[in-house]
Parts: sequence; C-alpha cells; structure tokens
Amino acid sequence: MATLKIFCARSTLQRLTKQNLASISVLPQNRSHFKQVGQQPPSLEWKPIMDRAAGSVFWNELLKGLGICLGMILKEPANINYPFEKGPLSPRFRGEHALRRYPSGEERCIACKLCEAICPAQAITIEAETRADGSRRTTRYDIDMTKCIYCGFCQEACPVDAIVEGPNFEYSTETREELLYNKEKLLSNGDKWEPEIAANLQSDYLYR
Amino acid sequence: MASIIKVIGNVRRIISHNNGIIGSFLKMFRHDDLKWGTLVGEDKYGNKYYENNYYFFGKNRWVSYPQSSGFDFDASEIPPEWHRWMHYMTDDPPTKVPLPQRKWMADHTMNLTGTSREYVPYSTTRPKIQSWVPPKSSD
Repeated sequence: MATLKIFCARSTLQRLTKQNLASISVLPQNRSHFKQVGQQPPSLEWKPIMDRAAGSVFWNELLKGLGICLGMILKEPANINYPFEKGPLSPRFRGEHALRRYPSGEERCIACKLCEAICPAQAITIEAETRADGSRRTTRYDIDMTKCIYCGFCQEACPVDAIVEGPNFEYSTETREELLYNKEKLLSNGDKWEPEIAANLQSDYLYR
Repeated sequence: MASIIKVIGNVRRIISHNNGIIGSFLKMFRHDDLKWGTLVGEDKYGNKYYENNYYFFGKNRWVSYPQSSGFDFDASEIPPEWHRWMHYMTDDPPTKVPLPQRKWMADHTMNLTGTSREYVPYSTTRPKIQSWVPPKSSD
C-alpha cells in the first residue's frame, strides 16, 4: 500500500514538473505493468476453502513433518564416529609442542630464546648453559601449555626448526600440573612424533 | 527396487566383513556402527586400519583398536605414521610409503594421564636459592 502511495505521489509530481518546467525535457515513465512478489492472499472460492479445511481436519502438515522425520532416520548419518573415524587435519595443524632432533640424534635447540621473546602469552621459559663440549644448549625449556594460545609464532621464530607444534591434539590431562611441560617431556614428544612432523614439514616445504 | 537390492547387498557384505551375525552383534557393541571395507594395514600395536570410499569423506577411513584393550581403547593409541593417514593429511598409508625411521625415535605411547605412568613435571635445572641452614650451637 505504501509503495502504491509513493507511486501515485511520483506520478502527480511528474505531472507538476511537466507543467511547471516544460522547457526542461523530462522523459516520462509510464508504469502500467505490476507484479506481486509477496505472498498471495488466500483465495476465498468454495473449492480452495474446502481443500484447506480438509487439510487441517486430516492433519496434513503434521503427517508431512513425520514423513520428513522418517526420511531423515533412514538417511546415512553425517556424523563421524570419533575414536574410530577421525576428521581431516592440515599438515600445518598446530597442536602439542615438540622439540626436534637432527637426524644424528643431536638436539636442535641452541637456546637463542627467540621463541621466548616472541611468545605473546609468555608461556615459554628458557635457561641456557654451555655444555661440556662447548656448545650452547638449554638446561631449562618449559612451556606452560595452559598459557599457550597455539598461535605458532614459536615455530615461525625458530631458526633451526627445533620447536614445532606437532599434529597431536589428544593430550588432554586429568590434572593441571601435567600440562606444565619441561624439556624432557618436549624432547620425548619430538622422539615420538618425529616421523609425522618431518613428513608434514616435507609436504609443505614449498610454502614455508 | 534397485536401492533395496543395494541395501540387502550391503547388509550381506557388512555381516561377512564382521565375522558373521554374532561377530556383527559384538562389533555393534564396541563400535556403535557396522561398516565394510578393505584392510589397508595393521601397525605393531595391533590397530587395524580400514578404508572404503563408498562412505563419504571423513567416514571412509577407520581404525579398529586391538581386542586386548577391550572397551578401554583410546583415540591417542594411533601411532604417528598412521595418524597422518587417519587424519587425511596424505593418501598414502605407511604400508605403501614408509616414513623414515631413526634409531633414536621412541615408541608410541597413548595418552598416559590418569595412569601410574603419567607425566609429572619437575625442574631440569639446579635450584638457584639455597635454604638457610641454622648454625649449630656448640654446647
């Protein structure tokens, strides 16, 4: 109704402008063909009225809804049966941290503390000492996994690819203290997950 | 009609894949699901890995934990080689493309929280502060 009023107002305005500003050439728009795009009002003929009444008497809509229910029961479910089936992960997935080793078995971390510096949650604590053979290594490498926000800055900052976020995400614990990882735990994570970590790094090396 | 024949064929395959009707019944208890597929491989911990691309992506690879673990199976029992395949990071199972092994690599363990072998944090450095020992009086 409101649009109709606007249209009427426009046509009268156009007429006024035509009369007053005859010198300025205004292209008149003749709108004669309208289409209703909203919901049609229900027909009030006898047959449609009877059809609607029969539909409500025989619970047409309820039965249609139950039919959809039955169809959904018989359909293949779109769930993943989790401990047996698992969802897709990216090779760049950032999960549990691990400290890697060189293929010779020497630990990679040289205690440059770049990861400690970049960590936005300040979850990493490093202390370094010179080892007996003169190489610089960490004596303490602690990650507080309850602080970590899994941003992946540590693995991006690392110049020797020592600290990585591995693909494991199934390390939930029963107590809080088990999430305060020390160097031994991180190295053992690396020893356990190295086959997959190395393969994931290899598969993505063109984009790093 | 054709779909009914397909369903019957699938039921027959599922039952034969799961060691008959009794085996299917027991499997239903453990897996909450009955499927059929080809055995892709088995790791040294006894987990068996299956694949069937008849099921849609995400359901087409699955693992059967060893019978010895009973109903105490855990999702973290899958070793890293197969973890990669199970999570669709690669299409090549480690039976086809084995991952390089070094002698310092450790055996896989499941998540040990709540067991006697759980991780307990400790300091890996010497303490920097010594506690004061009161001097002994000489009497």
